[in-house]
Amino acid sequence: MSRKWKVYLRATLIAAEMTLRQNVMDGFIIFTVLIQPLLIALLALWMLKAEGGEQVIFIVVGSGMTGLWSSLLFISGNSITSERWTGTLEMLVGQPTPVPVIVFGKNLANVCQSLGSMVVAYLLSAVIFGYELQIAQPLLFLISLLLGIIAFVTFGLIIAPVFVMNPAVQGWQNAMEFPVYILSGFLFPIALLPDWTTPLSYILAPYWAARALHGTSSGGASFGEVLFSWAMLLLFSAFYAGISAFLFRKMLHKTRVDATLGFQ
Amino acid sequence: MNAIEVRDLRRVYRATIGVVRRKIKEVVAVDGIRFDVRPGELFGLLGPNGAGKTTTVKMLTTLLIPTGGTARILGHDVVKEASAIRPRIGFIFGGERGLYWRLSGVDNLRYFASLYHVDPDTTRKRIPYLLDLVGLADRGQEKVEGYSRGMKQRLHIARTLLHDPEVLFLDEPTMGLDPVGARELRQVIRNLQSEAKTILLTTHYMFEADALCDRIAVINHGRLVALDTPVALKKLVSDLSVIEIEVFGIQEQALERVRSLDFVDTVAVEDLDQKQSLRVHSAAGSEAIPPLLEALDGVRMGKVVVREPTLEDAYVRLVGGNV
Repeated sequence: MSRKWKVYLRATLIAAEMTLRQNVMDGFIIFTVLIQPLLIALLALWMLKAEGGEQVIFIVVGSGMTGLWSSLLFISGNSITSERWTGTLEMLVGQPTPVPVIVFGKNLANVCQSLGSMVVAYLLSAVIFGYELQIAQPLLFLISLLLGIIAFVTFGLIIAPVFVMNPAVQGWQNAMEFPVYILSGFLFPIALLPDWTTPLSYILAPYWAARALHGTSSGGASFGEVLFSWAMLLLFSAFYAGISAFLFRKMLHKTRVDATLGFQ
Repeated sequence: MNAIEVRDLRRVYRATIGVVRRKIKEVVAVDGIRFDVRPGELFGLLGPNGAGKTTTVKMLTTLLIPTGGTARILGHDVVKEASAIRPRIGFIFGGERGLYWRLSGVDNLRYFASLYHVDPDTTRKRIPYLLDLVGLADRGQEKVEGYSRGMKQRLHIARTLLHDPEVLFLDEPTMGLDPVGARELRQVIRNLQSEAKTILLTTHYMFEADALCDRIAVINHGRLVALDTPVALKKLVSDLSVIEIEVFGIQEQALERVRSLDFVDTVAVEDLDQKQSLRVHSAAGSEAIPPLLEALDGVRMGKVVVREPTLEDAYVRLVGGNV
């Protein structure tokens, strides 16, 4: 590995570490990552109590994904804006590590911590509801999780600069939370939705992540189907990375022209 | 090669006013300034609030794109070669912001050391050294949110020295510090100067600029109005005396009467709690006192002192009493 990539890797890891250290003190983040997915899982488990235990793994994985998406939308989406408010964005732009590398590290921390949502939902169903849960294809599930994390992190790299350049779009942040839960099939299959929504689901990386995770945890998907979901996740990750590189260049130029890196 | 080269640098801010009939208002913050800073020089940038000092520093530190002109740091253009400049410079802006308050001082430094590509071994040695240098050795493990303003400012100094930069931009580093803290920070700056670092310092405090700077540029309304050594700048007012009059609640009318006197060069008013200090520059010396007192008829007055001009008086003259 060249020296450049070593220093970028180190910068990514320390950005992730410092983000986690700060997040453990933040009540909003604790709500987004732990409390809200817990409530969603609780509601779904009560609703499906009469159906037996077959759907439980779907709910555990699905409610975990709601935490992942909310964390991405609210915490990673605000990752640049929050630096601007604290006056640290100027410090980050004025140093030699590219800003997307730092934001990647921050998003990685946010997405990884939100996996806590899945653990909380698992504990809830196992300890409170007494279900015995098993991941049908553990190795494939782990690979799906890893690819899902990469797709989510790169998607976060798109929304952060978009929110900085277009504060009006950020106003729709709340409205973007539940439609993605539904269109991605986090808590129930998209086959239950009207046909015209299916193309919308297909253009969302969270849908392919949910499909791979649900398929491998329940064992209801063939290897070919899982492989296809992985390919889609990789494709989306590459696409998001390309778009985000363009958006970051544009945002950093615009903020330096408009003098909006910091608030005076 | 000069460490900093500024040529006709200009920056215009545009703001939109109104909701229905939107208008674009333009404010010229920096208006074609030109200066050079030599390697190892401690160069002062002085000017009243809104003169364009911080805007200039932000353009030189690659954080703001100039509207016109050019600037080069260590031979690199601040717009086209920003990535070549950033590893070689350090900067701080006055105030408490720009740090991670929920992290400890040490964690803040670890974070920035990594971002500045300082290797882990050097980081481990450098952080205790810098914390000691800025007097935070025993507070480094505490969260920054518990630091006083002065401690935050000193942590900023440590942060900016992590990667041992060649050129430093210090924008009002002693702003808001208590006298002891400010004196200690000035000593840190002197030490940096002795390490042959190039430093561009902006400050409001004339004695600070006088004590530290090799040369001083004075800017007012975005324009450079003087550039010389502190000694040479003081000579600008060597023909004048300064008459300081303590007044209580002086009104604009009385000030206008003072300004209209033909022997008065410049008038500046400084607010001091319940009273004001009226500073009149005049070549007439103590002979100016009787007509001045006559012009201030009806204004409650305290002490009247005539003294030799200082660098601050030169500055007041250059910025036309706009302090």
